[in-house]
Amino acid sequence: MGSHNEKSHLPPPLDLSRWSRLPAVLMIAGGVAALVGAGVSPKEFGLSWLLSFLFYLSLALGALFLVMVHHLTDAGWSVGIRRFCEHLASLLFPWLALLFVPVLLLAPQIYHWLTLPPTDELIRARWPVFTRAGFAVVSGLFFAVWWLLSSRLRYWSLRQDVTGDALCTHRMRFHSGWGIVAYAATLTGASVLWMQSVQYQFFSAIYGVYFFSGCAWIALATVYVIAVLLQRQRILAGLLKENYFYFIGVLFFAFTIFSAYNEFAQYFVVWNANMPEETFWYLIRENRSWWCLSLILIFGKFFLPFFVMLPVKVKTSLKVMVPVCLWAWLMQFADLAYNVLPAMPQYHFPLASLWIPFACLAFMGGFLSWVFLRQFRSHPPYPQKDPRLLEAMGISLPEEENPPATAPIHGGRS
Amino acid sequence: MAESTVIPEDLKPLAPPAELRRAPVVENNRRLGALTDQLSQFAEGKIPRWWWILFIPAAFCATVLLPVALVYQVSAGVGVWGNNHPVMWGLDIVSFIWWVGVAHAGTLISALLFLTRQHWRTTIGRAAEAMTVFSVMMAGLYPAIHVGRAWFDWFMFPIPNSNGLWPQFRSPLMWDVFAVNTYLVVSMLFWFMGMIPDLAVLRDRATTRPRKFILSLAAMGWTGSARHWHHYEKAYVVLCGLCTLLVFTVSSIVGLDFCTSQLAGWHATIFPLYFVIGAVFCGFGMILVILIPLRKWLRLENVITLSHMDKVAKLALVSGLIIAYIYSMEFFIAWYSNDPYERWVFGHRLFGHTYWFLGWILIGVNVGVTQLLWFKKIRANMKALFVIGLLINLGMFTERFVIVVGSLYQDFLPANWGVYLPTRWDVALYAGSLGAFFMLYLLFIKFLPFIAISEVKGATPQGNPHHPLGGAKGGRS
Repeated sequence: MGSHNEKSHLPPPLDLSRWSRLPAVLMIAGGVAALVGAGVSPKEFGLSWLLSFLFYLSLALGALFLVMVHHLTDAGWSVGIRRFCEHLASLLFPWLALLFVPVLLLAPQIYHWLTLPPTDELIRARWPVFTRAGFAVVSGLFFAVWWLLSSRLRYWSLRQDVTGDALCTHRMRFHSGWGIVAYAATLTGASVLWMQSVQYQFFSAIYGVYFFSGCAWIALATVYVIAVLLQRQRILAGLLKENYFYFIGVLFFAFTIFSAYNEFAQYFVVWNANMPEETFWYLIRENRSWWCLSLILIFGKFFLPFFVMLPVKVKTSLKVMVPVCLWAWLMQFADLAYNVLPAMPQYHFPLASLWIPFACLAFMGGFLSWVFLRQFRSHPPYPQKDPRLLEAMGISLPEEENPPATAPIHGGRS
Repeated sequence: MAESTVIPEDLKPLAPPAELRRAPVVENNRRLGALTDQLSQFAEGKIPRWWWILFIPAAFCATVLLPVALVYQVSAGVGVWGNNHPVMWGLDIVSFIWWVGVAHAGTLISALLFLTRQHWRTTIGRAAEAMTVFSVMMAGLYPAIHVGRAWFDWFMFPIPNSNGLWPQFRSPLMWDVFAVNTYLVVSMLFWFMGMIPDLAVLRDRATTRPRKFILSLAAMGWTGSARHWHHYEKAYVVLCGLCTLLVFTVSSIVGLDFCTSQLAGWHATIFPLYFVIGAVFCGFGMILVILIPLRKWLRLENVITLSHMDKVAKLALVSGLIIAYIYSMEFFIAWYSNDPYERWVFGHRLFGHTYWFLGWILIGVNVGVTQLLWFKKIRANMKALFVIGLLINLGMFTERFVIVVGSLYQDFLPANWGVYLPTRWDVALYAGSLGAFFMLYLLFIKFLPFIAISEVKGATPQGNPHHPLGGAKGGRS
């Protein structure tokens, strides 16, 4: 493949061998710091762990969405990025499920509603989900669906590498078909049960869509960075052309707007109706240091990436886009923190204990990147026999090989 | 993927199997000249009988029923409608939202598919854009007359006046005025600008002096030079971006008409998105209803192919699934919030009295019937698709009725409860607007290029000079 599409203008190959120990370093340093955090303040540790877990969950769920959309739309251009998206999605089970175990164990520390008596009006109304057993069972159900979906999609994808059979494509489309419905239901459920319920009195119908847009947004940022690294390492140099980066950039840009749209819709409707059962959520976040985080999110998560990515040419400028993608990681983390951390006992942004969430983030990041790299190395880097591979490489079939016309020739004067 | 090369020998095994090959945008592999002939034929030829059969009743509704209903309503007041306490919004706002919805898929299909480089949109984009323009006109009618004293409509615009009157910008009605007007202007520009190269084609083919003169004015001096194309394409991209944003903002604003209130059944944070998707879903239904007969009657099966109809049906399915998700979220939040009023409203949507059957119709059609589109056989059956398109429009009209009337007719005080039934004037106005829409649409397909000739040609192999069949090298006449 490389011989046909080698780009002469590429910079020298990137050598990442000296970074190979980074996952282990992150795991050890982050793990030790997180343990210290757990000893110092179990409640803050619980929320920090949840926050970091949600960050990586959003990344994996976003990648799963990209894989399914690829199959459902019969896309050609995204063949090159599909394999590592499948690896990212397969982090959902068992790896992220394992990382969820501390959330399950620390649930009474994280979710105040678990400590309330069953006679509480809201708890009674939300029975049986808002019970310890209900929480565990429903969480298990979410992971079961994600496991089934991500494993089936990866299984048929890897099988196609061997057989090249069209059946594999049909199976992947089938799983994406039912999967997208199950995905919407489970993602929404997870966002409500795991994230929104840290302040259990709050409710918002758009919350699931809001979480989803963040998932797709952060996944696209990650995909962009990984694609750049793979291109620079010459692993996918023949496959990832400039238009790849343009398409990922356009999608990233679109989700920047869509994400802001959802957040604004929620805020505006709550603000305008001014009902106390909803406004309390924003009142907390408009006070003290949370106000600063609100402004950082407005400008950092929307205006900055929006204006930077607005020009068409920027989307293929790696020097601009890679920093924007890295910035997006920070903003996604900040956005999730904006949702989760106000449940902490102190009513201001926990600047002094901010090292705890970052320690959890480093530990999980190290662990998950180690798993991802192991999976990536043990399989071909792109779908070897995908029927759209030629199209992704920019080679189109000559017209005479296209199927014969089915419609009769009508009309025309000639 | 602009590069078109013959497959190198070592990569030939990677060629997709026959069942997975892409369908060509235009079937039959025809020469560019033959394609121009075919696509201009209807606008240049004699008017067929079917056109008159459709046009006469539509024109009657538009020129008799609509003016009579309008004049009577404006002279007698909005009391002639069925609106009464506690349902102070009825078929007027229902019809308004429905027309806004129909308006949106047109622009979305054309603009968003252009931005995502979907070549198949070239064959249906123009038809969809025209649908947008005419339905926004119909939508704009309702805010103008529902105020009661239509001669004071100018109060809604920020015009300095001696009375010191100034629009109340905190009212969602004002947002509607500006959103709908902006949308109308931009979508008309988008529609007209896209037609300029094709109007020039018709001008160059015109055989009579008056026709040539009128088309020359409409084509605005288009010569097809590289400079013209360069400016045209730049402007087109910008308009596509604007239109896509407008699709979202206008429908969101219509959603805000409801959800900024505190009324159970209306106040939901998902409403802006709900109305965007609802609009798109409704519009896809209308596109199916319009395109299926027209592709047959205009003998355009090789241009608006089964593959294109399949894609439209899939998009209708996607938007229908999102609608189903939003319905689920409404019921879920009513349960989750533990708000007794929300629980009451949503419980009564399906199991209440008076309008409970409408709740089931909307679920049955918008959620149930749409699931048929999962099946390839259904998507390939034009009769089935036509019926599904009609049902989607019926379902979405019902949905708006349920949202508006279903949330109003049982007030917080049982003593206030009432029933809403539209009067003959409500129905006449709606029927008149339907007639006006179809009359304008029929005039459009007869006198203007219904398919984007230049765009379709650009999407064929013959239109790509780098393709082995490009230029004059291939194709059948």
